[in-house]
Amino acid sequence: MADHKEELKARVFLRSALPLVKVVLSERPNYRYLLYKADGVIQFGAKDSQQAAWVAMSPEGFEVKPGLHENPTISLIFKRLKDLNTFFAGGTALPSVSGVKGVPTLLRFLPFMLKLKILMPTAMPTDPAEKELKVRMLMQMIASGLSQLNKGGDEFLSSYIKKSPDRVFQFTVENGGPANYLRIKAGNSKAGAGTYARRRPYVHMIFKDIDSAFEVLTQRVGTVEAVRDGLLRVEGAMEGSKDIGAFMQHLDKLTMG
Amino acid sequence: MAQGLTWTVEDADSMTQAEIYGEVLTQIGQQNEKVVALTADLAKSTKIGRFWEKIPERFYNFGIAEANMIAVASGMAETGLIPVVSTFATFASMRAAEFVRTDLCYQKRNVKIIATHSGTSFGTAGTTHHCIEDLSIMRTFPGMTVIAPADAYETARAVSAAIEMEGPVYIRIGRGFEPPLHKSMDFDFEIGKAIELREGTDVTVIATGVTVLHAVEAADRAQQQGVSVRVLDMHTIKPLDVEAVVRAVQDTRRIITVEDHSTIGGLGTAVADAIAASGKGCAFAKLGYQDEYSIVGYPEDLLHIYKLDADGILETIGLVLKQDFEQDENWEDEI
Amino acid sequence: MLSNKERKFLEDTARRLRERIVEVTYSCGGTHIGGAMSQHELLIALYYKYLNIDPTNPRWPNRDRFVLSKGHGGVGHAVILADKGFFDTALLDDFNKTGSPFGMHLDWQTVPGVDVSTGSLGHGLPLALGMALGGRLQGLDYHVYCVMSDGELQEGSIWEAAMAASQFKATNLTAFVDRNKFSLDGPTESIMALEPLDKKFEAFGWRVLSIDGHDFDQICEAIETAQAEKEKPVIIIADTIKGKGIDFMENQAAWHYAGVDAAMRDKALESIRKMK
Repeated sequence: MADHKEELKARVFLRSALPLVKVVLSERPNYRYLLYKADGVIQFGAKDSQQAAWVAMSPEGFEVKPGLHENPTISLIFKRLKDLNTFFAGGTALPSVSGVKGVPTLLRFLPFMLKLKILMPTAMPTDPAEKELKVRMLMQMIASGLSQLNKGGDEFLSSYIKKSPDRVFQFTVENGGPANYLRIKAGNSKAGAGTYARRRPYVHMIFKDIDSAFEVLTQRVGTVEAVRDGLLRVEGAMEGSKDIGAFMQHLDKLTMG
Repeated sequence: MAQGLTWTVEDADSMTQAEIYGEVLTQIGQQNEKVVALTADLAKSTKIGRFWEKIPERFYNFGIAEANMIAVASGMAETGLIPVVSTFATFASMRAAEFVRTDLCYQKRNVKIIATHSGTSFGTAGTTHHCIEDLSIMRTFPGMTVIAPADAYETARAVSAAIEMEGPVYIRIGRGFEPPLHKSMDFDFEIGKAIELREGTDVTVIATGVTVLHAVEAADRAQQQGVSVRVLDMHTIKPLDVEAVVRAVQDTRRIITVEDHSTIGGLGTAVADAIAASGKGCAFAKLGYQDEYSIVGYPEDLLHIYKLDADGILETIGLVLKQDFEQDENWEDEI
Repeated sequence: MLSNKERKFLEDTARRLRERIVEVTYSCGGTHIGGAMSQHELLIALYYKYLNIDPTNPRWPNRDRFVLSKGHGGVGHAVILADKGFFDTALLDDFNKTGSPFGMHLDWQTVPGVDVSTGSLGHGLPLALGMALGGRLQGLDYHVYCVMSDGELQEGSIWEAAMAASQFKATNLTAFVDRNKFSLDGPTESIMALEPLDKKFEAFGWRVLSIDGHDFDQICEAIETAQAEKEKPVIIIADTIKGKGIDFMENQAAWHYAGVDAAMRDKALESIRKMK
């Protein structure tokens, strides 16, 4: 049985990172050709854990869901969850592959998977389009990663969220840029796309533009300097902004450390 | 607009709520010869007696006959005078209710009523001298402006603003020993505009009159426990600052109202109307006298017993925070 | 003492406007015709001999004020105001109809010439007192006249005002009681006895004059006495007949509020024309 920490990591990789292929698709229309006549399901999993996820590819796009698909076209099962995590973190680990018929599907999927590498701390693109892609992916990943950690029982997050009243941590890039939020209440959490309209955010992190968001989210610039230099504006509860900062560090350490 | 008020903050410290209003009214009377003051044998209690001393020729004591006093005020207003009428809230709003409604509101006469000893501020005098119905009754009369100032300074500003506007106004205050909320006369006061005393995003407390100070205290204590409470001083019950209520609904989704008044028909009901009309879900609780008359007691004790003080408000904050309202229990991540 | 010419003028005017009241009652379906008839001479005397008013300037600050505290007598008041020129008499065709400026009880906000809105009994005397005190304070020398019904004197607020008028020596206020001895349910003395009315007002500090409320000589003399009185407010208790002038209506509680059909209207007009 994989240990709790590995379970949490896997949750984040499988339920927050893997779905980011959808963001890749929407930001890179030129990848559409890979979906032409695509039809298959790729199953990810590990022998020593329940953590699993599958990706269904079709000309319409992707469907990414946790758990086991009843009829995958191709399965990539790792011996240990630890290996799956290593694989998703960008390291070397080989799964056993079954379902030869699914190889074409896998080949179509590969470019998307490789694009996920842009999430790695070493990936520091200068091209504006690449920067934007990374920002969009990071923003969604932070919101859903934190939510998944809570749902998975991460001690640090769930102890805070259990006690919390209905609060929203909102992330926005100004002038029509991407927006994501994390809503928490009495143990529940939800990651959302866009702006949460139903109440004022408890903490609102507002990035001046994509470049500013890039600098801050990749941690090239710390939040204190970012605020000082006008890259970032924080509205709402000051204590709350410290909390969200701590959570982001926690998520980062868990997945990348 | 509050100019020519010559006493200082030091004087204010030693003046009670009722005395400040008496002083303000006298000064306004000295500057505006259309202002006349009327009482029903309660000049000494309501402190309108200050006016009596300084401007006796424009002061009328009608004895213990409130209905007559209100109608006479209406007749005086017909001739262009601005009568300021003072008596206890229960007599102004109930004993003379039909006269207020028919002779002031229906006939649109420029008379200002200053109703003292409202709520249970006259604690030990018992229910015959309490008034937990006046906001509700006065709200129902078309054309009446209804104000419950939070402290002496607000009372002075309210009296001043009332005299500057055209039409009947009902201002209800305590017995005069309530502690100050503001530091001085220097703050923005506009009839119909709530004053945001504390910013917050978790829950909003909308209070009026003597309970405002308690709401602020409760908010500060909640802050220490990590709960962010918005406090609105809703001094004007009619016209209500609906915009401020709707903003509170949108930003915090939880609202508590507090008033030294019944929960039927006063601030709580007015706010509930606004919330319902906004069409948005909101957790809501009303603090006040829950359709009951209070026991005899010192007013500070009564506020505590009936949960209108900081302790009661804090307790209600806790309850409301746990409350769910139907919308948005969808906890699936959007990915 | 009235000259013959003056008396004739007042009586002719009274007769003419009584007919108008009957016509309005016929066209609008029903009015407080009984009380309009009993108060009539009092109002005619005031409006056609004493009130210092200007129909072209109804809100003139120094005008005399008139309060019909028995607001249900509004139809009688309205007919006089129209005749004096405060508004077009044709508007009375809509009396009591939806959207009309004239309801049973006249509203100062919609009817030119009306000073305060009455209808709820017991309000008129204090309203009148307020205008009297207000005028005096501002150095205006107008007089205030207030006509009350007798049933109305059962309201406590009348006595509050009576006490206050005496206390404040409101000698620029003169009150009348249209003592027709009936209210809606029947004779006042069997419902809630008012006598001895004169002694009551004297006890409250008023000077009391008792007259025949349909005799112009007595009415005018009383008004002039009241105007000259400088020590106390004056009340003129006018002994009147409910429905006066219409033989089948006189002294009947039933005619407190009623309508007339064409036949009754004609009979009523005939009766009025026989009046002196």
